[in-house]
Amino acid sequence: MKNNIKTLAIMTFIIPLFSLMVSCTFDEVVDPNGPSVDGVLKNASKGQLNELVVGIESTSRNGIGNEATANGVMARELYLFNAEPRNTGDLLGKAGIPLDNNSFYSVGSWNGNYRCIKNINLLIEALANTDAVNETEKNGYLGFAKTMMAEELIQILKSYGKARLDVADPENLGPIVEFNEGMAKVRALLDEGQQHLSNAGNSFAFTLSNGFIGFQEPSTFSEFNRAWAGVAAVYAGDGNAALTALSDSYMDMSGNLKIGPKHIFGLGGGDQANTVFKVPNLNGDQIIVHDSWIADAEAGDSRVAQKSAPRLNPASQDGLNGTHETRLYESATSPIDFLRNEELILVYAEASILATNLQDAEDALNVIRNSANLPNYSGAKTADALTAEMLKQRRYSLWSENHRMFDLRRYGLSNTLPIDRAGDQIFNTMPIPLPETY
Amino acid sequence: MKMKQTFWKSVLFLIFLTVPLLIAAQGTVTGKVTEGSSGLPLPGVNVIVKGTATGAITDIDGDFELLVPSFPSTLVFSSLGYATSEVKLTEPTVLSVTMEESATGLDEVVVTGLASSVKRQNLANAVSTVSAQELVGTTSQSTVDGALYGKIPGVNITATSGAPGGGFALRLRGISSINGNNQPLIIVDGVYYNNVEIPSGLRFASGANRGNEENSSNRLADLDPNDIQNIEVLKGSSAAAIYGQRGNAGVVLITTKRGKSGKTKISFSQDLGTNKIAKRLGVRPWTAESVESAFGPVDGPGERALFEATMAANGELYDFEDIIYGNTGFITETRLSATGGNDKTKFYVGGSYRDEEGIIKNTGFDRFSLRTNIDHRISNVFDFTSSTSYTRSNSSRSFTGNENEGGLSYGYTLAYTRPWINLFPDENGNYPDNPNAAGNSIFVRDHALNDDTNDRLVQGMTLNTNLLRTDTDRVKIVTSGGLDYLANQTYVYVPETHQAQVRPGPGGFIAVGKNNFTQLNTQIIGVWNKEAMNGALDLTTQLGVAYLYQKSNLVNSRGSLLAAGQTSVDQSVNQVIDQFRSEEKDFGYFGQIEGNYKDQIIATLGYRMDKSSRNGDPNEFHGFPKASLAINMANFDFWSIESISQLKLRAAYGETGSPASFGSTFTSLGASIIGIDIGQSVVGSKGDPFVKPETASELEFGFDLGIFDNKLSFEATYYDKKVKDLILTRALPSSSGFTQETTNLGDLKNTGVELALRAFVFDNENFKWNTSIQWYKNRSEITRLAVPAFAQPGAGFGLGLGTFYIQEGQSATQLVGNLNLDGTGTKPTKVGDVEPDFQMGFSNNFTIYKQFDVSFLFNWKKGGNNLNLTTFLSDLGLVTPDLETEEGKARLLMPANAVRFVEPAGYFRLREASIHYALTRNTVNSVFGNAVEGVRFGVSGKNLFTISDYSGYDPEVSVNGGTGLSTGIEVGSYPSSRQFFFSLNVNF
Repeated sequence: MKNNIKTLAIMTFIIPLFSLMVSCTFDEVVDPNGPSVDGVLKNASKGQLNELVVGIESTSRNGIGNEATANGVMARELYLFNAEPRNTGDLLGKAGIPLDNNSFYSVGSWNGNYRCIKNINLLIEALANTDAVNETEKNGYLGFAKTMMAEELIQILKSYGKARLDVADPENLGPIVEFNEGMAKVRALLDEGQQHLSNAGNSFAFTLSNGFIGFQEPSTFSEFNRAWAGVAAVYAGDGNAALTALSDSYMDMSGNLKIGPKHIFGLGGGDQANTVFKVPNLNGDQIIVHDSWIADAEAGDSRVAQKSAPRLNPASQDGLNGTHETRLYESATSPIDFLRNEELILVYAEASILATNLQDAEDALNVIRNSANLPNYSGAKTADALTAEMLKQRRYSLWSENHRMFDLRRYGLSNTLPIDRAGDQIFNTMPIPLPETY
Repeated sequence: MKMKQTFWKSVLFLIFLTVPLLIAAQGTVTGKVTEGSSGLPLPGVNVIVKGTATGAITDIDGDFELLVPSFPSTLVFSSLGYATSEVKLTEPTVLSVTMEESATGLDEVVVTGLASSVKRQNLANAVSTVSAQELVGTTSQSTVDGALYGKIPGVNITATSGAPGGGFALRLRGISSINGNNQPLIIVDGVYYNNVEIPSGLRFASGANRGNEENSSNRLADLDPNDIQNIEVLKGSSAAAIYGQRGNAGVVLITTKRGKSGKTKISFSQDLGTNKIAKRLGVRPWTAESVESAFGPVDGPGERALFEATMAANGELYDFEDIIYGNTGFITETRLSATGGNDKTKFYVGGSYRDEEGIIKNTGFDRFSLRTNIDHRISNVFDFTSSTSYTRSNSSRSFTGNENEGGLSYGYTLAYTRPWINLFPDENGNYPDNPNAAGNSIFVRDHALNDDTNDRLVQGMTLNTNLLRTDTDRVKIVTSGGLDYLANQTYVYVPETHQAQVRPGPGGFIAVGKNNFTQLNTQIIGVWNKEAMNGALDLTTQLGVAYLYQKSNLVNSRGSLLAAGQTSVDQSVNQVIDQFRSEEKDFGYFGQIEGNYKDQIIATLGYRMDKSSRNGDPNEFHGFPKASLAINMANFDFWSIESISQLKLRAAYGETGSPASFGSTFTSLGASIIGIDIGQSVVGSKGDPFVKPETASELEFGFDLGIFDNKLSFEATYYDKKVKDLILTRALPSSSGFTQETTNLGDLKNTGVELALRAFVFDNENFKWNTSIQWYKNRSEITRLAVPAFAQPGAGFGLGLGTFYIQEGQSATQLVGNLNLDGTGTKPTKVGDVEPDFQMGFSNNFTIYKQFDVSFLFNWKKGGNNLNLTTFLSDLGLVTPDLETEEGKARLLMPANAVRFVEPAGYFRLREASIHYALTRNTVNSVFGNAVEGVRFGVSGKNLFTISDYSGYDPEVSVNGGTGLSTGIEVGSYPSSRQFFFSLNVNF
């Protein structure tokens, strides 16, 4: 009997118990679904660094769609008629409602831009902790990183009028600063980036996508850097610095207006689509051109027909109406420009007005006008008149590309926008997202 | 059961040894015990001489023989599930005793440890038990959680979708987690049962924000409610403490039907039913003038012309509510089961098939379920039980709920669809585009698919080893294990001809999900029963270990730009594959000691230590103590109030936990692709490598009162449950690169009261009436928040429209919006609370002339709010039915904020009602002969009527599924249905 019990106990208790105890020390748990952040911060290989570079280029597309449509609605360039009622409500201040700092439109671009900046900071930190690349190569990575960071900060400052600059350590974020301080940082970053690029040798240790064809070496990428430096200088009101920077960029008065690096899109896994593209004549999800953009256009402006088309049936939603819809992009994989020659020429015109080179400004504006099948400028040759003309050309050259709201804001003209419905309001700055205000 | 038998056998043995030594007026009593309703012999009944330890057990034929030491004497007959009865004797005799099924449930046994149980009358917790009769006895039920509605105090059930196949959120005593798991642990016959909600990827076509907006059902739907013998609900930490870190949201213990020895019984049942929309909202009563004025000077005249053309052609408008939701679904369910066995082996074998059509054409749910439960006694030492079930279930849920530009969700699209627009296909089968929304709902109904299929095997096994049996000590080892394997497949198909898909748009969409879930659990427990103080004190000690392993692998393959008419994912240009894997392990030790002094004082002490691979430190143990005390006043000798048969005072304390959800410890990179290269980007959520489990402690006390032999009983319970170290997902300043993190950030508490009154109002031969009333309320409060108040991510749509808002000192379920009510500036302002003031269940059962059975169940939910954002959409579409009224017009002018959409969500509902008729034995025999034992048939209904101020389809609603903090926000939900059934049951 005693032996029996022992055997039984061993069979039914001790053996399974023992096997359970043996398996009961758990190994450190690793994420089976993706690499860890810590893994790339120490002794990163060149492959890991290059994956971050691709990640940065990829995530620089974050928020573009929201910036173009939400800021475009606020600037009465367009309406977004889709399933989301706040696109025709909040963004137009319907019935006195304020903008919400906790909604898709206010957090979308902020999150997207800072995600990209985080990737840039990871790359910078990884570079500081690896021996996988030499000094020249490192300069290439840093030149790319700082240029891209400046580009992202410009987007943030345009939408929000403010930015948080010091964000490398998530536990110790710096303060949110005003526009001018932000733009000063942008310009400093671009100059640092330019310095790195000038010491980066003849080629990068990484490859950029086909969107950067023509700008994939340190020397050509630095033209991209200088183009942004020109833009940033103009936004900071520094016309002469802008002209200097633009002279080192790919700006070309007689060149193809479309030249410049582009965001490219794809429909595969992990890729992004161009969300500013809308299917022609589709109902329920459409970018409708604000009627004033059609009505205010100069007769014969070819940009109107290039960028928009009349709808088969006029669209209406939420008490808003429109006859035209977008034709800005051909498909969901059409590229979106970072900064094309056309914009640089307009920036040059603006810089020239700031530097009181009014003739240069007029000449540049005529390049744009002629490209749109319009005759040369015939208005007054004063700074004010030319500024108005410059803003008008920007309105038509850069429609639905996230410029109008910022242009009107920086020139104090937001209140000139039309009100479509009684009770609507005009907003020209996105509210800083709620979690930033804690 | 087994334990008791052997125990009594040894007692009997002793009696036979000792009794002849006593010379007294002893004599032998023999007899037969039969079951009241069937008249069949009842084996295993305990027969004891009152006031002594002398007793016997009936054999397989229901016979017993007992030497009674002296006369006059009283014999007490007791058996699980039957009312205890007493027979007074003056001399040795031959008895014939009939046992009736227990109505009071005081004798039923409730599981309190992992391998021990206690009689209900000795229980220190308010453990609710739902019997098979209560669960499915009134009407035909498709899912277990749906069947529990209104039957248990302290349980809040919300249907997250009205689609066939369910979708339910179960909350026991309020929410126990803000972000983690609020669904209770479900254990079926000892197997940890996976109740996951599996997203299908349809959001990539519909534009819904997250997987939890896809309106999937939870997989408790794979369990056939008809297989269930009873459900025990351990509502709070004090009862669930022995389940340690999986017990925070409570535990639902489900026991399926098992065999009974004796003649093999075969039961056949057939239900036939219909499914119709429970409530119609109607069509706005348009006139030509109101059309013109509603759409303004630009569009008005055109819309008026369209309206007039439709009226001229059809004489009426298109009632899209009727066209889409007006289907009468047909429901059938067929069940066949056999049960029987002998004293060594018992079996239950059952199979069922349920087919349920929805109120939207082409939606439905079907389930084929097979079960084999076997109990076998190998020897006096070994016995085992095995429970096996296989289920295959399919559902077609179509498209409801939130979306963006997909043109798929009916609720969303219909909010913009104008009733003078013809959306029916022409004679060539071409569907017109919906000019006012992203999709044509009739096309979606006829041609788009959202289906899933589940194959599920659940196997539980328990081996009992009786190591030692003496007069006072019994030791056994209980080794048990369970396997739950679920293979789920999802399939979403949106044709390339769907309005929102036509080229150069996405060009059609297919998502194929192949998802596997494996769960294994093992327990080894030693149980030692000791009788001390000459049998006055019963001690049960148990020690054990438990191990849980869960693994999942979810693969979702999607394609867009489809070849014309093709429905395979490889017939597409743009293909995307997602994979998500997880693996979790838990390990724990536990021990418990229970003492029962003469059924007067019952005390329990227990402790469990657990660790989990989901915690920051996977090898750190967390401790969960428990203690409870019950005092049965009426069992003390001094008790003299005859009419009060039970007065129990009870108190219980316990702690439980809930580990962080899988992945909370990781800060990872995700693939981010541009051009031809793969890149890595932070994914937005920041992990906490030191995350600890949430832990809850609960103190519960109350009393149970039984009057007139427990014909009237009252149960009152108060609980105070505190959850510490809440794991919250909170929004981070996203300038850090991370939009959210999940970590321990706060505490909350739930306090509540549960009252239950049961009465057997009449109990005579020809008329029986029993009634039960349950009343319960819960209040929650965030007692600590280590971060500033924040809007809960993943639930609701931001402070503009109103959302859940986690704020110290406030209810965890408050609804808050950005408002400027007092003119001092816009700030987060409370507009309501999802939590009801109280809830009530009221059920009645009448039996008339033993043949008629009438039952009904009412639910009353008092108070509580919902955010009805469907109205927001239909107001924009101008089709809300009340927009011709002053109230509607006034609402239209209000700004679109939370205060506009918050609505009272209380209701009073006739949840279930039935009339059944059983043929008399004579009729059965004369019609069917002796082969048939009983025939019962009847009609029943579900959701028969509802009184509610809520303007939507159903105040029970959730746009974000069943997990987390989610219920009470509505966007285009699947409307609830009313069901009627005819049922037939034949026993052979």
